[in-house]
Amino acid sequence: MAGKAATGHHIRLISSYWCRHAVRSGSGLVYLMIALVFGLTVAHILIMPVEQFMIQQKQKTGETDPEAITRMIVGVGRPIAQWVLGLKSMEEIAQQGMMQPPPMGAGTQARTELEDNGIYDPWTSFLLEDKPALLSAILLVLLFGMPFVISFLAFNQVSGDVQTRGLRYLLPRTERRSIFFGRFLGVALFSTLVMAFIVATIVLYLGMKLRIYPAGALMVWAVQGFLALAILMLPYIAVCSFVSASVDSPFLSLILAKLIIAGVLLIAMIGSLAWKPAEYLLYLLPWGWQNHLLHPAPGHWLGAGLACLAYTGVLLALGYVRFARRDL
Amino acid sequence: MNEEQRPGGLTALAVINFVFSGWGLLGLLGMVAVFAFIGQIPTDEMDETKRAQLEAFQNMGVSTLVMIVALSILSNILLLVSGIGYLKQKKIMGRMVGNAYAIFGIVSSIASGLMFGAEMGGGFNIGTMIGLIYPVVTLILLNTTFVDDFTN
Repeated sequence: MAGKAATGHHIRLISSYWCRHAVRSGSGLVYLMIALVFGLTVAHILIMPVEQFMIQQKQKTGETDPEAITRMIVGVGRPIAQWVLGLKSMEEIAQQGMMQPPPMGAGTQARTELEDNGIYDPWTSFLLEDKPALLSAILLVLLFGMPFVISFLAFNQVSGDVQTRGLRYLLPRTERRSIFFGRFLGVALFSTLVMAFIVATIVLYLGMKLRIYPAGALMVWAVQGFLALAILMLPYIAVCSFVSASVDSPFLSLILAKLIIAGVLLIAMIGSLAWKPAEYLLYLLPWGWQNHLLHPAPGHWLGAGLACLAYTGVLLALGYVRFARRDL
Repeated sequence: MNEEQRPGGLTALAVINFVFSGWGLLGLLGMVAVFAFIGQIPTDEMDETKRAQLEAFQNMGVSTLVMIVALSILSNILLLVSGIGYLKQKKIMGRMVGNAYAIFGIVSSIASGLMFGAEMGGGFNIGTMIGLIYPVVTLILLNTTFVDDFTN
């Protein structure tokens, strides 16, 4: 029992040290810059047309109409969301055309009829009408993009110290598992803090500057979106842990982590054009599940969350087995 | 202290400075080129918003343009000099010039937001916040994380 307590204490110590010194080591700084610029640029690209629409509206009528703005966002966003979520192909969306959404506040019967006709679906209606649509759109892009960014933070968990033989000075004082899992938790903690900052900045801007959504709805959806992002990062950090534990060079670790994370997606997408079942390669990583973290049905988002944790567990176990046996 | 003891973060900060300085220089050349031909761009088929944007730029005085170019050059010089200072871990060239860049960057971002109208990309928006990220991060890091690393 004393051994387990010591391991837990060491893991906490190593993770907090890693998190505090991530910026000093360089990888944390590069990740911080890329994540902040990416997150806020995505928000800027999506919010800017809405702001211009609001300015035009104010010039014409002297005031802004939040309902008309929301209707415009839903009308433009629906086909894009349907394509992003994989609910409709480009051809189906082109056939459907730019459908106008039902009037805001339309009865559930009207919406159900439209859903039965295949024009509207519960998932996009949930994201665009039940929840603040702009925030949903930003969260969807962040869910897609952040896995590409995370390797800038997580690539050098142990490989750099293996290369310089620095771990040899640490091993007399602690165990390999404390180093491996402590650093994984440090990366996860740092990434979670950055995600929280990005989501909080975007929500504050939407709430205080745009003022087209109720503050309560924004806050609740922001917390859900932040949790989705935080959980989604875990398996991708675990990929980097596995790679970092397997190679001696930090640069090679970064390249391999990028190739694996992006390669699975690319091979599945390109391969499915030639051979349809190749799309199942997406499930080698959470690519195939991750949008379900923003699904209205608890079974879906809970399942996706558990799947992310399962991927994390498997990848960490593989990484630890490699790290425990290798020459340091 | 020799360069072997320079933290990786400081090297990263220097590289980012050089990259931003290069981008800034390219942006400056692009801006000058756009202004050279701005009067020849036809506005007949543009929508109201784009026309308003273009007219706002066309009506901008030469003195304003000269001021923007001068401030951009100053910002790029501060970035370049402080980047070299970070690599050499110099107190004045690195920490002080880096702080000067950060304060200059924050003030110029806020000032451009206040001076130019929304149609010219001014006003307070997320773009302003993106412009503030690097100066704010620089200011914080130079005075906390890397405060003891400028020893030359």
